[in-house]
Amino acid sequence: MKKILQAFLISLLPMSWSVAQTPTGSVLIKNAHVLTVTNGDLEGTDVLVENGIIRRIGKNLSAPASVEVIEANGMYLMPGIIDAHSHVALDAVNEATAPITSEVKMADVVNPYDIGLYRALAGGVTISHAMHGSANAIGGQNITLKHRYGSGNPEDLFMKEAPRTIKFALGENPTRVHGRGNGIQPRTRMGVDAVIRNGFNEAIQYKKAWEAYNNALKVRGATPVPPKYDERLETLADILDGKIIIHCHSYRADEIYGLINTCREFGITNIVFSHVNEGFKVAPELAEYTMGASVFADWWAYKFEVYYSTAYNAAILTRNNVITSINSDSGELIRHLYHEAGKAQRYGELNDQETLALITINPAKQLGIADKVGSIEVGKQADLVLFNEHPLSIYAIPQMTFVDGVKYFDINADDNDMRLRVSASEVVEPIFLKEHEHRCMHGVDFFFTNFGRSLFNHSH
Amino acid sequence: MIFQSQTIKNLGLMLLGIFLSVSGLHSQSDPTAQKRVSGTYVIQNVNLVASPGSNATQTSILIKDGLIQEVGRNLRVPAEAQIIAGDSLYAYHAFIDVFTTAGVSRPADLERPSDFNPSKPSDEIAGITPWRQVLDYYDAKNNSVTEWRKLGFTIAQVAPEGGMIPGKTALVTYGGPNSSNVIGRQNALHAKLRNSGGGRSLYPGTTLGVMAKFRDVYKNAELSAKHDRTFASAAGINRPERNKTYEALYPVIDKQIPVLFEVTNDLDARRAMMLQKELGFSLGLIGLQESDNLIADIKRTNTMAVLSLKLPENGASKAKKDALTDEGGEKLKRVEEAYQKALGQAASFEKEGVPFAFTSAGIRPSDFNKNLDLMVKAGLSEKAALAALTTNAASMLGISRFAGTVEKGKLANIMLTTGPLFAENTQIKHVIADGYVFNYEVKTAKKESNGNNSNGSADLSGSWEYISETPAGSGSGVMEIKRDGSSYAGTITYDSPTGAGKDTADMRNISWNNNELKFTFSVSAGGMNLDVNVSGLVDGSNYSGNLSIADFGSFPLTATKKPNQLNQ
Repeated sequence: MKKILQAFLISLLPMSWSVAQTPTGSVLIKNAHVLTVTNGDLEGTDVLVENGIIRRIGKNLSAPASVEVIEANGMYLMPGIIDAHSHVALDAVNEATAPITSEVKMADVVNPYDIGLYRALAGGVTISHAMHGSANAIGGQNITLKHRYGSGNPEDLFMKEAPRTIKFALGENPTRVHGRGNGIQPRTRMGVDAVIRNGFNEAIQYKKAWEAYNNALKVRGATPVPPKYDERLETLADILDGKIIIHCHSYRADEIYGLINTCREFGITNIVFSHVNEGFKVAPELAEYTMGASVFADWWAYKFEVYYSTAYNAAILTRNNVITSINSDSGELIRHLYHEAGKAQRYGELNDQETLALITINPAKQLGIADKVGSIEVGKQADLVLFNEHPLSIYAIPQMTFVDGVKYFDINADDNDMRLRVSASEVVEPIFLKEHEHRCMHGVDFFFTNFGRSLFNHSH
Repeated sequence: MIFQSQTIKNLGLMLLGIFLSVSGLHSQSDPTAQKRVSGTYVIQNVNLVASPGSNATQTSILIKDGLIQEVGRNLRVPAEAQIIAGDSLYAYHAFIDVFTTAGVSRPADLERPSDFNPSKPSDEIAGITPWRQVLDYYDAKNNSVTEWRKLGFTIAQVAPEGGMIPGKTALVTYGGPNSSNVIGRQNALHAKLRNSGGGRSLYPGTTLGVMAKFRDVYKNAELSAKHDRTFASAAGINRPERNKTYEALYPVIDKQIPVLFEVTNDLDARRAMMLQKELGFSLGLIGLQESDNLIADIKRTNTMAVLSLKLPENGASKAKKDALTDEGGEKLKRVEEAYQKALGQAASFEKEGVPFAFTSAGIRPSDFNKNLDLMVKAGLSEKAALAALTTNAASMLGISRFAGTVEKGKLANIMLTTGPLFAENTQIKHVIADGYVFNYEVKTAKKESNGNNSNGSADLSGSWEYISETPAGSGSGVMEIKRDGSSYAGTITYDSPTGAGKDTADMRNISWNNNELKFTFSVSAGGMNLDVNVSGLVDGSNYSGNLSIADFGSFPLTATKKPNQLNQ
């Protein structure tokens, strides 16, 4: 109720809200078992947060009287969990209509009212990487979200300091949607590679054309004609310039290795592979040439290209020095990523720190935000989760979740109904089949919004 | 010499003037009997509310050829004037609809070429048609225009139907049959955040693609204009490639006309505002709902706010309350609150001092008075409601010079009601649109009928052919309705989601009361069942209603009953 009240109050004072920075909080957490992830475990330790930043870590810390003190004796404090592959809080996921859609931006379709954000917070997740779908060889630009649940303004959720990222996809999805579906390139894995190469080469030409125009403008009295504007190519040029990190949907070792070679050819080093079920076959190459792999713990066999899989994937990759994370790609899995990480430990016998890194500092590295979040260190942003047990215990339940020092989830204090927006006409709100489709068919382009729209229109 | 010929010319003009004024006084013979006897009217002794919030004062109004010539107690009544007895009537400026598609037909879908590439459709197939003028698709004699006029609307901005950029709007009056009734054309550009024409089947398919494409079109229009200007002023420039999409956007990039973005809720509105901030056009938000969170931003950015007259169904009212658990009760309370918030949105805008107008888009004429009343009961002042429908609307449309209030020199768009607006049982007796008088029958209050069913002797059973309109286009099918004891049973056919032929479903929960027919049917597609709710009013053998699909909104559905003997 408190948060709803907060949202309500905010709506009354929007003038200050719209100009103000995103809210930050101060809090002192006392006597916790602190899992720093980067500096080992600290027992019976205090963490002082001031204005959203971790200021001090130590014993017997004190805080000004106005700062809330949380007695966390017997509890475990870990960095906020980071999900490097998510589709939560998006009104649209897949612009599945062209093989390259690098001009589209997930930031345009963020839905801050999505209850999925609160559910993620209840699972200790403070940051998610809201991604475009996997229908296109080159999909849209993703957005890294901080789960500041309660605001109605999507921009308040944007992690503005995070670098730009973009979705790529290999294999069955782009070839099915465009090749088989529409009879255009790419029809095969070769075609996917060709689409990507063509895109980059066109981007090089595009960049040259604009450079020539801008140089011509500098000549006095010149009247150059501007080239066409094309955000699609401009974005690809930014990838070539290292300004954007690629997150590529992929399964098979051959296509992963293929794209690594393509990237090397174009001088691209900012690339993370997502899913990567056969990543264990190309682990040394992933370690050398990429920003790592974001995998599932044990999810596979939902289509042909995902049969050759193993629950040892995360461990093999980790042992080969690949930056490895475990992602959800699901509004359900995002609620227990600590369990998913636990599975990798169960199979691959990673130690606790390596295991927790899979859902904290490693995804932070893959999103280019490891200097700000992903571990409990002085100077980092105070995204924190307090667990009743060690988070890798099957009995662990998150108790409180903080983003920038502000508590957005409290298992004891929160109201039963934390929805920010309620339908006036549906007492039982419909379940969004979008999510259902998404899970069953896994990244497939078919999603419910369009299905509903085209329901009565089959004349063409 | 020059002087002389000038004099002769002036003399000629004078003669012509005399001739014209004579013909004005003594009308020419009119064998068709279509012509009005006189364009001059005097509304005598009417209670005039000249502008929102002003007190009703008893006065007379002289109208001549569409213009308010005089307002005053003792005005001189010209000999040719027809008298409208205003005694006990109230006069208001008639309503102005800031945005409607009433009377506008949808352009036919273009045939796709055999080598069609859905990732690179032509602008026209992609729903990008800023060059389209709504008047080419507008029928002033359309029934819905007549219906809205009957409700007091006389001026409207009509908008074209279509995809993400349907085209240019126009300003019309709902006036007499012998006029084009056009006040202005190319008033604004109509734009949407969703594309029709089958969603994912072509680019841009979703809001993601639509926003990117809007930026693309806008920025390239700017570059194209720059090329044009360079070409016009300098030598040695290659010929600009003519592109009618870009050229049609020139008045927008020059900020001569606004972009009217059709939105549903605050998130949509924020998207339009984001585009505005990036690109710099002038923006109107059309059809705001669920936008309480946005009022301050609208105020700060001084954005044109046009609220929807649509209201959600009251979900809580239908719930079985006695069977609820505590948790269920809490949830129901929130549904009720959400409904009250929807009713109170206009009042919230008023409270925050944000001027707003209304659009009729998306509602049936029969819901207009009902919804407006609900908003007033939820706290919207009558003054603000009237302002939204008159003065605010006029100022948003830039026509305050001649519309919005009843005073000398303004165009004659006046409604005469049997009592104060918003009072119970007040009815419209005359609507004067563009100086033309339309008379309406005033019903005396009827006694409530005793029975539960007041459907008269109407019989539903038979074959009803229906047409539905969704953003994707039209669908059609047949409802077969049979009597089943004291109630009805039936089946409905619909275009199969698999794309081939028709599917049939049972009509469930058929309710038939006060001429309102409601039912539900299930569409199965992709292994899922989807409930489609249909409700609407039966008038003889015509059915006019809406179908709603879960959260995807509600779309018009009309049906006609085939004569019964054919059914047997």
